[in-house]
Amino acid sequence: MKIKYSVILVLAIVVICAGIGLKMFFKPHADINKLEAKFKVEAIILIAEFQKDENAATLKYSEKPIEISGKLVAKNKLPNGIQVLVLENEMEGISCQLDSSWVSSNKPAIEGLQNGQTITVKGICKGYLMEIKVSPAVLVIK
Amino acid sequence: MLKNLFILILLFASVCVFGQGKFIAKNAYISFYSSTPMEDILGESNESVTILDAEKGEVIFQAIMTTFHFKRALMEEHFNENYMESAKFPKAKFKGTIEGFKKEMLKGPVSGIKITGVLSVHGVDKTITVPGTIGLEDGKLVGTSKFKVIPEDYGITIPSVVRDKIGKEMEITVKASYLPYNQ
Repeated sequence: MKIKYSVILVLAIVVICAGIGLKMFFKPHADINKLEAKFKVEAIILIAEFQKDENAATLKYSEKPIEISGKLVAKNKLPNGIQVLVLENEMEGISCQLDSSWVSSNKPAIEGLQNGQTITVKGICKGYLMEIKVSPAVLVIK
Repeated sequence: MLKNLFILILLFASVCVFGQGKFIAKNAYISFYSSTPMEDILGESNESVTILDAEKGEVIFQAIMTTFHFKRALMEEHFNENYMESAKFPKAKFKGTIEGFKKEMLKGPVSGIKITGVLSVHGVDKTITVPGTIGLEDGKLVGTSKFKVIPEDYGITIPSVVRDKIGKEMEITVKASYLPYNQ
């Protein structure tokens, strides 16, 4: 009888461990739309911070969800269909790569965007390479 | 007829422009792929920045490691935390020169070019020669390359438990669509 319970116990542990393992293996990517922004910042202030001290700004913002408000200066579509919104400066501004699944369910919002308008974008800050890279990102519709 | 003439003038103008100065691509594509019987691993970034100096034939690429995206969140986590140590070595860089570079190459497409330079990944610098193509594609200057690297060459240790799941070599694919860069 004791052996029977031990076998059931061992089996249960194995099943639970396998379940946890599988859940971890198939863990989905974080949904940027649901993440709460750690920082809410104006685009020009963020650019100034990175240009003044890249290391300090990287430490502060990198891999964190941030919400940025600024002037849209370019709306580009990459050859593989990825939509990019550039804020403040086309060469040395903030480049936000939109989450493709978000784009597919929010096409009218993207199409309605005009250069020069102020927009708010939420995304994961990746760091600085001539410009600030943010990906994946979503447009915050207020 | 007029339309054709216009296209011809436009093409000629772009060829003239492509003979000088520097070119930039801020959303260059880099992927690495490894295939094993167990699992295919593909990481892709569309956020690399590259500058091509059309006077000297020099090419610079830079990528932020955390911009590589994978199908599974766990793969991305392992890539950044266990293998590339992205917090410690956030960027990868390649600086090289196109062998036997001539400005005419930019009017290509020219395949079979060779680029020799230093690839810096995971804090390790290594001189490599990679094959590539360059030339006009739909009026844009496009550069591509495909080559293989061995993770261990760059001090990236893969634990024996998962060593079989990850290919011995990683295939790197690069594609950049350049625009004139006025500094």
